[in-house]
Amino acid sequence: MAHTQKLSPNRFHAYMASFSKRAFGTPSAAVLSIVIFGALGYWTWLAVDWAIFRAVWSAENVAHCTEEAGACWSVIDARHRLILFGLYPYEEHWRSTFACLSIIATVIISCFPATWTAKRLTSLWVAGFAAYYLLMEGSLLGLAQVTTDGWGGLSLTLFLFASVVLLGMPMGLGLALMRRSEMPVVRSFAVIVIDTIRSLPLLTTLFTAAVVVPILLPSWLEGDKIWRVIIAFSLFFGCYQAEVFRGGFQAIPKGQFEAGKALGIGYWKIMARIILPQVFRHALPSTINMVVVTFKETAIVIIIGFFDVLASAKAAFGTGEWAPHYMEVYVFVGAIYWTFIFSLGQYGEYLKGRMALSTH
Amino acid sequence: MKKNTTLAIAVGLAGAALAPTASFAQSATVQQIMDRGTMLCSGHNGSYFGFVEVNDKNEWKGLDIDLCRAMTTAILGDPDKAQIVPLSWAQRFPALQSGDVDIIIKATGWTMGRDTELGLQFSLPYFFGGTQFMVHGDLGISDSSGLEGGTVCVEAGTTIERISANYLQTAGVEHTMVSYESAAELRAAYLANRCDAFAGWGPSLAVLRATELDNPDAHVILNDQLSSEPIAAAMRQGDEGFVDMANWTIAALLIAEEEGVTSANVEEMAATPPNPKVARLLGVEPGMGERLGIRDTWAREMIAAVGNFGEIYDRNLGSESPYNLERGLNNLWSHGGVLYAPILD
Repeated sequence: MAHTQKLSPNRFHAYMASFSKRAFGTPSAAVLSIVIFGALGYWTWLAVDWAIFRAVWSAENVAHCTEEAGACWSVIDARHRLILFGLYPYEEHWRSTFACLSIIATVIISCFPATWTAKRLTSLWVAGFAAYYLLMEGSLLGLAQVTTDGWGGLSLTLFLFASVVLLGMPMGLGLALMRRSEMPVVRSFAVIVIDTIRSLPLLTTLFTAAVVVPILLPSWLEGDKIWRVIIAFSLFFGCYQAEVFRGGFQAIPKGQFEAGKALGIGYWKIMARIILPQVFRHALPSTINMVVVTFKETAIVIIIGFFDVLASAKAAFGTGEWAPHYMEVYVFVGAIYWTFIFSLGQYGEYLKGRMALSTH
Repeated sequence: MKKNTTLAIAVGLAGAALAPTASFAQSATVQQIMDRGTMLCSGHNGSYFGFVEVNDKNEWKGLDIDLCRAMTTAILGDPDKAQIVPLSWAQRFPALQSGDVDIIIKATGWTMGRDTELGLQFSLPYFFGGTQFMVHGDLGISDSSGLEGGTVCVEAGTTIERISANYLQTAGVEHTMVSYESAAELRAAYLANRCDAFAGWGPSLAVLRATELDNPDAHVILNDQLSSEPIAAAMRQGDEGFVDMANWTIAALLIAEEEGVTSANVEEMAATPPNPKVARLLGVEPGMGERLGIRDTWAREMIAAVGNFGEIYDRNLGSESPYNLERGLNNLWSHGGVLYAPILD
């Protein structure tokens, strides 16, 4: 889409000409093209017909959701607040909405190059998180307190995702640096941590944090379940991200570090000014990949009893009235995931383009 | 608190015939719930039809939730003091042991392993569900003998498979057993008429019939009960007082149904109790509360808040729910079921 818009009319014609030549150049190619495009068109029509033309939209019209009708979006109309906010108290949903928006805004603002200084990014994220927490928890703002048991839906998924990436990134960088350290103790410590966490399934790690830790620790040290899980998840993310950074480090010739040293520049300055900017650039594609995977992996917390967007979707069609319409609920949740992940991916593409410019 | 429990046990051992004046049976868990001001019950990470669900106002509902609210009312006097903690199936027992919840009321079967190795204690069973057959209505079958020469479909590797095979073999019914890897496949096969009968957990069959099949009346759940599994509330071992609390919550709900006390007429009944049992139940005569270490009127408040057992059942699984599940085994003993309350003396 984006590409065709950029083309000038002439180039568009040339593009179409080349397309028709390739698709319909020979009789057999033409037949194949017609079959494939015909099938694609038919399936698209079926999907659109189901999702839009024959669909029932409002909750009052649920009686029309018979087998002949298409998608029954009534279920979304009636239950979208459950999918978005989970078990959060109904009257307080505005708080969950604003909390969600504050996280989304934080992520969007930090995508702009203007915010890319350590000071700005840090203050932005601290502010975004504080806003989320204060709104959701409420007691510090003088609102009704909602404990983390009541958090759920999309707002919980976003919060888990943002905190895991936020905590996991520095952890990953720290571990990657430790792994490259010249001090054997530090180096082997990093190796043991990274390899141990990576050899355990994520589910086991999270289950341990959520279920086993409270049995082992004294209650004053336990903390809230959500924080234990976020820390465990971040550690998992950090260990993988450390390996991603390691790949970035390996792409940089050793000579650069040595040259810096020869000029009498200190370790931290060499890292901050010479090595890391290049490391980030090399590690970017895999980092975006990690972030996308993490967004999807947050759904695993359903196993340890968190009411994330997928769990609340299951609850949304989990009553007798709405049980036949599980398909619509899954499509809706799929669309939510797609929107976030597609945006992340597109942003990654933009970053790659930008960084490629600065390389040469 | 431990001291008190030990004391209670010591007093009990010293002479059961003596009437001790100390507040006995007051349990550590009940005390904890009172101090905390909320009771922590198990929810679900999603929904389990009829037992644990979420309504349009993002609030929990269902048979198990109502039992939790009933017990919360008994202890704290307010059903809204129940705090439902979402838990997965795998997580429920560790969560109970670590104190994340006070009790598990979550369609949990009473098994020997759980009772002994896992260190749990179970309440009186409040629900019985077992393996049953669902058949296509046009076959005109009313019991399992009609399955002679037919095809029975089950989910592979479940106890249901073994139970059905045993049952039909014992009854001398020739049949073909076909097992499917997943519940969805099984459902599709049954709907495509590849099976005459669908063997499954009774309540699940009823829910399936009510919610996913186009024409619920075209399918019949046979009366044969192949097995019966008691569903009960699970608690941590070592707090007998709390088990008493759970047992008498369930008992009071059953006695209320037996005596015709409902959420609608409970105040009326309390004003003019028809018999001494109801007077005792509703706290008009003392005794209900003291022996559990709580208020005498707990059962009255509880019935006013959530209704008797029959009302809870009808609202969540029975005639007033989309599932319309027959009481069957889950009726009072006096109506052909197997539910009964201990004696209220």
